[in-house]
Amino acid sequence: MKQVTAKIIRNEPVLKELARRHARSISGSWLIWLRCPEIAREVRPGQFVMVRCGEKLTLPRPFSVHRVKENRVALFFTVWADGQGTHWLSRRKAGDSLELFGPLGNGYDIYRASKNLLLVGGGMGVAPLYFLGEQARDQGYALTLLLGAQTASQLYPEKLLPSGIDLVTATDDGTAGKKGSVSALLPDYTSRADQIFACGPRAMYRAMSPMPALKDKPVQVSLEARMGCGLGICYGCTVRINNGLRQVCQDGPVFNLNDLPAEELNPI
Amino acid sequence: MTAAGTFGYGTEFNSIFDIQKLGAIVCKGTTLTPREGNLQPRLAETAGGLLNSIGLQNIGVKALIREKAPAWSSWRVPVIVNIAGETVDDYARLASELEGVTGISGLEINISCPNVKAGGAEFGTNPGTATKVTTTVKTSTSLPVIVKLTPNTNEIAQIAAAVAEAGADALSLINTVKGMYLDITTRQPLLGNRTGGLSGPAIKPIALSMVYEVAGAVTIPIIGCGGITTANDALEFIMAGASAIQVGTATFNNPHAPLDILEGIEQFMKTEAIEDITELIGAARSQANEKIGRAEIRDG
Ligand SMILES: Cc1cc2nc3c(=O)[nH]c(=O)nc-3n(C[C@H](O)[C@H](O)[C@H](O)COP(=O)(O)OP(=O)(O)OC[C@H]3O[C@@H](n4cnc5c(N)ncnc54)[C@H](O)[C@@H]3O)c2cc1C
Ligand SMILES: Cc1cc2nc3c(=O)[nH]c(=O)nc-3n(C[C@H](O)[C@H](O)[C@H](O)COP(=O)(O)O)c2cc1C
Ligand code: FES
Repeated sequence: MKQVTAKIIRNEPVLKELARRHARSISGSWLIWLRCPEIAREVRPGQFVMVRCGEKLTLPRPFSVHRVKENRVALFFTVWADGQGTHWLSRRKAGDSLELFGPLGNGYDIYRASKNLLLVGGGMGVAPLYFLGEQARDQGYALTLLLGAQTASQLYPEKLLPSGIDLVTATDDGTAGKKGSVSALLPDYTSRADQIFACGPRAMYRAMSPMPALKDKPVQVSLEARMGCGLGICYGCTVRINNGLRQVCQDGPVFNLNDLPAEELNPI
Repeated sequence: MTAAGTFGYGTEFNSIFDIQKLGAIVCKGTTLTPREGNLQPRLAETAGGLLNSIGLQNIGVKALIREKAPAWSSWRVPVIVNIAGETVDDYARLASELEGVTGISGLEINISCPNVKAGGAEFGTNPGTATKVTTTVKTSTSLPVIVKLTPNTNEIAQIAAAVAEAGADALSLINTVKGMYLDITTRQPLLGNRTGGLSGPAIKPIALSMVYEVAGAVTIPIIGCGGITTANDALEFIMAGASAIQVGTATFNNPHAPLDILEGIEQFMKTEAIEDITELIGAARSQANEKIGRAEIRDG
């Protein structure tokens, strides 16, 4: 864990805004590249950083590490229409400095014996899966990425995705890829997968949890929680797993889907 | 010092900065048996503040003695254990359990957590119960006892005086201020516990005026706490009458905050050529007295 001041190399919108009625509206999604060798050196896929978003906010914001390239780290973040921290972050310019600390949390765990990995991302879930996929590809694993979004404009651009990974997409409204949720794609791709790695809203995990196709598969999912410290000290992010209480920031954010009781998969 | 519940057991910060440089570490609020805490969500950010309803999730005193205290005994920085109970007897038993444990330099009695109800009210809002808890703990321990006061009362000076009378070695104030956050889409309180405790810069003026008031009511040392984020904030508390200060919520945004504040105070003393921090303690009070004095002379 390092607390650093990082220079912003680039900060650009990648996805458009989306007005929503029964959910938080989105003002766009951004890709920010930072020069922070201390974190780039240490971080593993699935880990996150806490970013201080200006002087006015009391809490730092958690973001997964999205990409790592030499001494640079990228975050991919959604700007909520009413989100104070993410709005602030989207207005930072190249050359500005950003205060952050990390890497935090446990990260995904690829077993050495695995050959075929299946990655499942819902919405912003692509954020940590990019890093996981790129690294696993370089280590020789075969990968399939199932990516879902509400609508085509919210789907991570294919040309930005790492090459050498099979991509299958779905959108809720059918404007790109298969119509429906990304979890509905799953049963067709699980048979070859030695391990499954997911990141998405809790509703996605709720849909996955009872699937027969996943019954005997090791499935690792990344959970979101409201965080105070990110360091395991404030007990703000507690989640109940089948054998006790855990801190999402320290014991997670990655958990085995099997260990999560149904009531923890309700939306927060 | 670090404020209870915002610095874990200290061990978590070992890799972040040299915690041995701090004045003291106050560890997470500890109860007789482990507590699971309140329902999610437990945190809500507010303008300049943080509402929390953690509900004292902790490992319990037995695990604290077994798993945490051994590491503390080799530290130069003193560790103070913050204790909380639901009955007066709980506090007595906690103090007895911690008696003689190496690595523990003092107790801070939390009679003021707004997230855990003891018989429907906080111990700390009543001079009678506050006195009882203090006396009981004092007779069960040989360690220095700090009593942590709640701001959720309009009798803080009376409570402070009563607790000092009962033998408290020092006071710390303030704990969080009771508050609420509503979610207009669900039309319900956001926090799982419905209400929570407000901390951070939003409560600093409240904390400061309470420290100032209590400093006029007791002679034992006061530890100021509430929204301290910078060295200047800390200096305000010292000038209001605090002999020491605690840093809480500021650590979340900046894990280095306790050390940054300490270094900032040292820098201020250097610039102002102040040799001993005691010169600053209560400076605002003595000057205010002088001002009032001068006004009286003029008016007379
Ligand atoms: C481990 C982890 C990794 C994450 N990775 C990413 C990522 O890579 N990309 C991305 O776009 N988002 C990610 N998120 C979600 C991101 O942290 C929130 O979108 C962000 O905190 C919202 O901040 P805001 O100030 O705009 O929202 P506000 O609503 O103004 O924030 C108010 C408070 O609520 C918290 N909060 C609000 N929404 C969420 C949420 N969905 N999850 C957790 N806390 C929330 C904020 O942190 C803040 O404390 C991650 C969350 C976690 C826990
Ligand atoms: C997440 C959190 C947990 C806390 N837990 C405790 C606790 O266990 N015992 C206690 O006496 N105070 C607890 N407090 C109160 C703080 O110690 C402190 O009194 C208060 O937050 C005001 O200071 P601040 O504004 O610097 O945070 C907690 C505060 C926060 C934010
Ligand atoms: S965010 Fe503080 S314990 Fe996890």
